[in-house]
Parts: sequence; structure tokens; C-alpha cells
Amino acid sequence: MSHWGPRDTTMDALVIENVSKSFGAVRAVDDLSVRVPAGSIYGFLGPNGAGKTTTLRMVMDIICPDSGRIQILSETSGGQSKSKVGYMPEERGLYRKMKVRAILSYLGAIKGMGRGELALEIPKWLDAVGLGEWADKTVEGLSRGMQQKLQFVATAINDPDILILDEPFAGLDPVNLDLLKEIMLRMRDEGKTVVLSTHVMDQAERLCDFILLINKGKKVIDGTLDQIRSRYDSDVVSVELEGDTSFITDLPIVKSATRAGRRLEIALNENADTQELLQALAGRARVRAFEVKVPSLHEIFVDLAGENDG
Amino acid sequence: MDKILKVAQREYLETVKTKVFILSVLFMPIFMVVLMFIMGQVQKSALTGPRPAKEIAVTDLSNEVSEELRRAFDRHNASNPQRQIILTMYDADRPGLDAHMDEMKDKVRRDELDGYLVIARDVIKGEGTSNLYMSARNVTDFQLFSEVQRFVYDAVVNTRIKLHDLSPELIAELRRGVRLEQVDVSAKGEKKRETMIVLMVPFFFLFLMFVGVSGTSQGMLTSVIEEKNSRVMEVLLSALSPFQLMAGKIVGLAAIGLTVIGVWALAAYGAAASGGMGDIVSPGILGYFIVYYVLGFLLMASMLAAIGSACNTLREAQTLTGPVMMMFVVPMVAWFYIVQRPEEPVAVALSFIPPLTPMIMILRIAAVPDLSRLQIFASILLLAVSVPVVMWASAKIFRTGVLMYGKPPSLRELLRWMRYK
Repeated sequence: MSHWGPRDTTMDALVIENVSKSFGAVRAVDDLSVRVPAGSIYGFLGPNGAGKTTTLRMVMDIICPDSGRIQILSETSGGQSKSKVGYMPEERGLYRKMKVRAILSYLGAIKGMGRGELALEIPKWLDAVGLGEWADKTVEGLSRGMQQKLQFVATAINDPDILILDEPFAGLDPVNLDLLKEIMLRMRDEGKTVVLSTHVMDQAERLCDFILLINKGKKVIDGTLDQIRSRYDSDVVSVELEGDTSFITDLPIVKSATRAGRRLEIALNENADTQELLQALAGRARVRAFEVKVPSLHEIFVDLAGENDG
Repeated sequence: MDKILKVAQREYLETVKTKVFILSVLFMPIFMVVLMFIMGQVQKSALTGPRPAKEIAVTDLSNEVSEELRRAFDRHNASNPQRQIILTMYDADRPGLDAHMDEMKDKVRRDELDGYLVIARDVIKGEGTSNLYMSARNVTDFQLFSEVQRFVYDAVVNTRIKLHDLSPELIAELRRGVRLEQVDVSAKGEKKRETMIVLMVPFFFLFLMFVGVSGTSQGMLTSVIEEKNSRVMEVLLSALSPFQLMAGKIVGLAAIGLTVIGVWALAAYGAAASGGMGDIVSPGILGYFIVYYVLGFLLMASMLAAIGSACNTLREAQTLTGPVMMMFVVPMVAWFYIVQRPEEPVAVALSFIPPLTPMIMILRIAAVPDLSRLQIFASILLLAVSVPVVMWASAKIFRTGVLMYGKPPSLRELLRWMRYK
């Protein structure tokens, strides 16, 4: 992940600085700061009600932050940047009585696309998601999955530099899910930025370059997946040994050891090297399995959210 | 601005293209023409058309007018062979008169007689009341009543003339009719005005304004609520500012309203011109109409956009729009009064209540061709000032309301939304 290089603010597609928003007594977003590097897929993760949708709506200038600053594509949000942004809200919806082609023409036009451009882009996109034959049908005639795909096309039709997707995977079947991911990755490779929110951690784990964990409106942690993991991994090693294992707890690098079936879960002291443990074990017993436990985002999240609740 | 027009264009085309719209626009003039034709025919046949013979019994308590009464009915029957009235005279001096009169009234009650006329004893001196007894079924037959009334009057007057030994021919000469026609001198040149048209032209303009402003601004409510319900609102707001969306809708709906009004006005003009009354409306009033329509529509449509944005269903919205819509009933109820007294304080006062201004003013301008210019410009100025204020407040409510789902807000909450950044 070195191609993002040293932090340079001109390379950030989206900057959120100390943003807060309250609805009545509820603090939906609390002093949130995030930088989204251009050309990355950035996941906003958190449970329902964490403040993801509110944050994205503020990014889209649909609601105003109480305090703080948001800059999108090097412009303060609300300016002309809207035509360079594609936004798919959590609440999906299209005009039910309009024809597929007409609705894309309209949404494209209000995003500033010209007639010629639309005539070119609409068939291209519809073919890409397999809706080519449905161009002249009304929206209400489409299946749920087709409507989802049409919604995504409506979001991306104007070839935006940044895509803001609120819960893009909700309600998609596995085939369409893969199709959508493929398109996202392709757009990332074309240098575009994708910001998505989800509460499904393992989806994000497989797709996102960067991750923000958010809970109760506050940032829990952010960074690349590796950065986040490196803070939490290397602490626990799961081993399967033959022979006497009582010596393990006497090793200076080991904090504790607990038996889990045939395996032994060894927790190491801080800054201990897992390789040192492997060498120590190999000299004293037969090692059948040795696995450095990498915590899943799910585990990290549950861990952190629990701590925050404290 | 470009985006506002794009929104307006969609709003316009998506409405105008629907079959329901086309049918309802065309249906109205056709309906009016057919209705007027039928009413004309009905009225004509009621006045002069054939009618089954009517039977009337008479008791002349004065014993003096029977002869002239007979003559009056005979004259009528001679000239109206299809509208005969058969008269049966009964002697007032017969024994058991009271029982006889009760029996006659019973016959009327049983519909064996269409009417029973009792002439007052001192009718010649102009004292007492004569009665025409009719059954409940016939009591609304004003035609028969007014015919009988005329004949009794003629008979009594002719009897009086005879009693004074005057020549009926001389009297007829003296009573020859006088023609009176109303002539309008305020407009360019002199022209005859028929009372009915003087009343109906302002009503027509009031009606167009009513349909144009209240009917079309209802479309705003439906349109906003549809976008909220189909959840397309947020997609739109990612490309448009709430103000652009609201403004686009207002422009689109105003154009729809003008289309409807244009079609109907053309149809009405065509009908009037074919009846030789193409000049009953001066072109100046059309200019005023458009000015008042546009301002009145902006006022209403922005209010309804705000209300629509705060609601999730038409039902919820209707409870909130109820008071607003009540305002529109006022001119419809008061039009007759205002047309006849267009320059009295009531009419002037109503002209300066902004939501009412367009309807009341167009009514008055149509009724009085040279209405005070000062009042016209003052009312336009009042609207021109209220429109931006209402639009500003509505836009504030709109931007908060469109993303709110769930319970509709109270008035206090709406006021708080106005203060949001």
C-alpha cells in the first residue's frame, strides 16, 4: 500500500475536520476527523446508529454540520463539486412511473451532463450491469435487484471523481454483489475514490484500502487494514504441540497460556516477537501447528466498541 | 438556473404527458359547453316549449273578476296551443262554500287538480290576499304560478278600468311598454352590457384563478410527497440544492397551470366570439390575470411545498392544508357580493389579504374596468413583497422537512426548522 506515499493534503479526495452534528439532544456525530486519500476505497464502519449516514449526508451538503469543516475534491462542500460526486443514499428510490432511460437522462442532466454525453453513457452503463434490454421499461416493472443496479448506475452515470455509497451492499444477491465490487475496484484503478459505509465488517475487510471505525458518532480508530491489525495482532498465537507443554508459561515472553481443545492459545507480552516463541517451542516440543492469530475487524470492533462503552 | 429549468421540465412533461391530465384539460370545456347547451334547452322548453294541459279551479269570492279572468286565460290558450290552462269556475254564492273549498284543496292534494285559485273578496280595492293552492309536487312550478299571477293581475286591473268606465283600448295605449337597456360608458365607446354577462365574466376569471392557483398548487403537495415516499428525494438532493428543487417544481407547476388556463381561456374565448361577444373582455385584464396568477401561484405553491415536505402522506398533508384551502372558499362565496359592490370597504379589505389578493383583485378588475390604479399597484406590491418572504421561509422548512420521516411536525417545530442554518 505504499503507492499513496507520504501524506499530502492535495491528494485527499475528502477531508472531514472536527465535524459535529446534533439532532435535539442526540449527538449524532461528535468531533469527527477523517482524511480520505484520492484513489482509494475507504470504508466507514460501525453499527446501526453510529453516525455513518449523518456523516455522509453532511459530506453531500444535504445537512449542515453544527461545527467543523468538510472539504471534498479540494472544495468546501456545497460548491460546484456536486457534479463530480456520485452519491447513493441509504434510502434507495427512483421515480416509479418513469422509464429507465428517462430517469437516467434526468438524473444525469441535473448533474450537469449534456445530451450527447448522456446518449453515449446510458447504453454503455445499462449494458455493463445487464439492463440494456430494460431501457424503455418503467422502474416499477423492474425486479428489486435490477432497481438496485439501476440506482448504482444513476449514481455513477456522470463519471464522478468520488463515489459516496451509503450501505451499497444492502439487499444485493451474491452475483450482483460481486458485480458491484468489480465496478468499484475498476473505478479505484482508474484513480477514482470510493467512500462506502457498511455495518457488515467482513465485506469491508475484503474490499477497503482504508477503514474508519465509528461508534456513537465518535471515531474509534482509522487507518489501513494492516495498520489497524498491527495494533492488535501478534499478541496471541495458537499452537498445537506434542509432548510436555508445562514449560511454556515459564518463558519470559509469555504472559499466559490457555488450553482450547487440542490447541493452546498463548498470549505474549507486549513487543514480544512471535518468531522467538517459535524457536523456543521447536527446541522443546514437536510443533504440529503454529498460527499467529490475526484479529478480524469484527473482533477488533466488538473489542473497541465495548471499551468505549466502558 | 439551468438545474431549476431541468427540474421544471421534468415536472411539466411528466404531468402533461399523462392521459389523466390530457383528458381532464379537454373534458372541462366540453363539459361546460354540453352543460350550457342542455341548460339552455331546458330553460327554453320550460318557458315556451310544449307542456301538458294544466287544470285549475277558481272560486272568485269578489264575484267581480270572473269575466275578465276567463278572458285572460282564453287569450293565453289561444296564443299557446301547446301550453293550455283549463279553467273551471265555481260559484262563490253556492251553499256549503267552505266544504266545497276544502274539497277542492283535497283534489289538489290528490293531484286531481294542478291548482286551486281563490280570489280575495276585496281584491278590487286592493285589500286581502288571493291564494293559489298547489300540491307539494307542483309547488316549485314557478312558471305556472307566474302565469296565473299575471292573469289575475290583468283581470283585476281590467275590471277596475271597466268599473271606472274607461276604454280598455285607451288604457292599453297608455300602458304600452317601455324598453330599458343598460349601456356601459366606461369602456372604450359605448356598448350594451347584459346583467348576466356582467356577473359571469368576473366569475369566469375568478374560476380560472381558483383552478389555476389552488388546483395546480395541490400538484405541489402530491409531487413532493411522492418524491419523499419513493425515497428519490435524497438522490435528487445529491445533485441539487433544496432551493433549486423547490424552485424547479414551482416553475414546472406554474407552467402546467398556465397550460390548463390557456386551453380553457381559449375555449371560452372561442365560445364567446362565436356568440358575437368576442369583445366582452379587454386585453388589459389578461395582463393583470397573468401577473396575479404568477404571484398568487408562487405564494401558494411555496407554502404547499413546505407543508408537503413535512408530511409523509396526503392525508397528513390535508389536515395541515385545510386552513390554507379554507381561504380559497372566501372569494368563491363572496364573489356575488363583491361583483355588485366591488368598491366598497369589504372588497377593498379582502384585496389586501395576500392569499386572497389574486382572486379578489381579478374579480374586481373584471367587474370594474376602471378600478383604482393605486389599489391595483398596491396589491401587486403587497404580493411582490410577500412572495419572497414566504418562499424564503418555505425553503428553510423544505430543506429540513424533505429528509424527515415519521410523525408530522407541529407548527412550533416548523417554526424551529426555519431558524436552522
